[in-house]
Amino acid sequence: MTGVIEAVLKIIFWPPIYQYVIVPGLIASLVVVITILWFERKAAARVQMRIGPYNVSPKLKGYLQLIADLVRYAFQEIVVPRTADAAAFLLAPLLLLVFTLLPLVAIPVSPLEWTWPISMKYSVLVALALSVLSPIFLILMGWASNNRFATIGGIREAFLITAYELVAVLSILSVSAALRTFDFVEIVEAQQGFKWLILYNPLAFLAGLIAILMSTSGFPFEIPEAEHEIVAGPFTEYTGIVYGLNMGAAYMKRYALSVLLVLAFLGGWAPYTPPANAGYVAGYLIPSIIVVVKATILMAVMSFLRAVYGRYRIDQALDVGWRLIFTLALLGLGLGLLQGYLGVI
Amino acid sequence: MPPRFSGKKVPSYNFVKAVEGNIAALIVGVKYFVKPIRFTLMYPNEYIKLDSRYRGFIVLNKAKCIGCESCARICPAAAMKMIKIEEQPKQEAQEQSKKPVKKVKKHPVINYQRCIFCGFCVDVCPVEALRHIPVHDVVYLNMAEMDLDLIEFQKEPVNPAAAEGGIPVRYVFDPDRGLVKVRVEVQESAGGERGSG
Repeated sequence: MTGVIEAVLKIIFWPPIYQYVIVPGLIASLVVVITILWFERKAAARVQMRIGPYNVSPKLKGYLQLIADLVRYAFQEIVVPRTADAAAFLLAPLLLLVFTLLPLVAIPVSPLEWTWPISMKYSVLVALALSVLSPIFLILMGWASNNRFATIGGIREAFLITAYELVAVLSILSVSAALRTFDFVEIVEAQQGFKWLILYNPLAFLAGLIAILMSTSGFPFEIPEAEHEIVAGPFTEYTGIVYGLNMGAAYMKRYALSVLLVLAFLGGWAPYTPPANAGYVAGYLIPSIIVVVKATILMAVMSFLRAVYGRYRIDQALDVGWRLIFTLALLGLGLGLLQGYLGVI
Repeated sequence: MPPRFSGKKVPSYNFVKAVEGNIAALIVGVKYFVKPIRFTLMYPNEYIKLDSRYRGFIVLNKAKCIGCESCARICPAAAMKMIKIEEQPKQEAQEQSKKPVKKVKKHPVINYQRCIFCGFCVDVCPVEALRHIPVHDVVYLNMAEMDLDLIEFQKEPVNPAAAEGGIPVRYVFDPDRGLVKVRVEVQESAGGERGSG
């Protein structure tokens, strides 16, 4: 009997499965996304003098509204328009979801070597490379839908990529420059004892935060799926659970990038150090949950901006992206290089 | 000469001002997030207590009505119409005449599919047989129900939220907090006593 339990545990805590499917992958990200969507609606409602979701479950402050929405999406009919390219139309959302969560396999959530899905020597580079794969599927969606709104949304996304990808990569690379390593484990271990890198390099953190907002169409950069202008952008023609996947995928991408940002700037599992001979729970589960909780708080801060900001025009967003945020990221990289040269951290 | 472009001038870019504005907006957002001022009406549990002079549904007092047709004539939406009702004649009139006396009286009925709640009929009524009541959220199950007959027209419609035990509220303007919702007490005897305003 104990042998069976041990075998099941071994399968569950096999790093590639655990990190892609359970924590911080699919299951954890679903819970986080539902919580964040609820928080976003409630926070926007508080600021805008409303109440937000309430009547579905008054005792839980309307938390089950999101589950109800999910059930509604799940039982809706999926319609593929006659003019759409059916294969690309249906494959793009699935691939978007798959590639969105892929960076989570290239990161460590614990300093112990048996918990690493891949060799961690160049994990920063691998995670960044995997994180920039997903926007192409938004453009593919826009093209496959063969709808004017979807096309405009895809083109807007394509424009925005030029503004945010470089910034996101540069802001996280500034951490690598400061610590002279591409190893996420070394980066996190260097932040033990509340030497969080956000305190050393706030410029790069701010640039990364804004780049994540841009890449996941959060306010004020909710441009590709601007509801009042182009219905739902690339998602216009989608129905049912596929539409639900699309909307969830943006938040899952925000979550995956937030996890990267937490590891790079907010100390990962930092206050906690698992003992060297720790088991599954102490060595893997607890540090991964610490990372997820930090990422959730970071996402909540990003979601709060929805209540405050309006939407930029595409040219304003590109202007902000190139003139301001790109400069900020370059300054952050310079600061990181200086810190690396002087060996401050 | 080609036409010269004369659009809006783009405001000059001021970095310090932009940062200031963003921070101010965030502070306002956080202020409202920490201390929310909500005025959502939780409808079935709360309802707006309307003023007694509110131009809501119209009720007929049949005893006062003289059947003058003024209301039906003035109605701009042709929602009022007169119907003829045979009434029991008085005892003396029956005795005095040889033939059986027929007394026909006209009464208005209303069709709420057409009514625009302008209140002309109430204003024009010479004997104040018609009056408004401060109720406007009445639900009908189908269109035919909205065409009231004489008996329905004399009944006062009931606010469904009030009937289910909702709390009457009223919005007032507070100089510090803006629009705020306050609870008001409902008078029990107010229903029958209200005049036409």
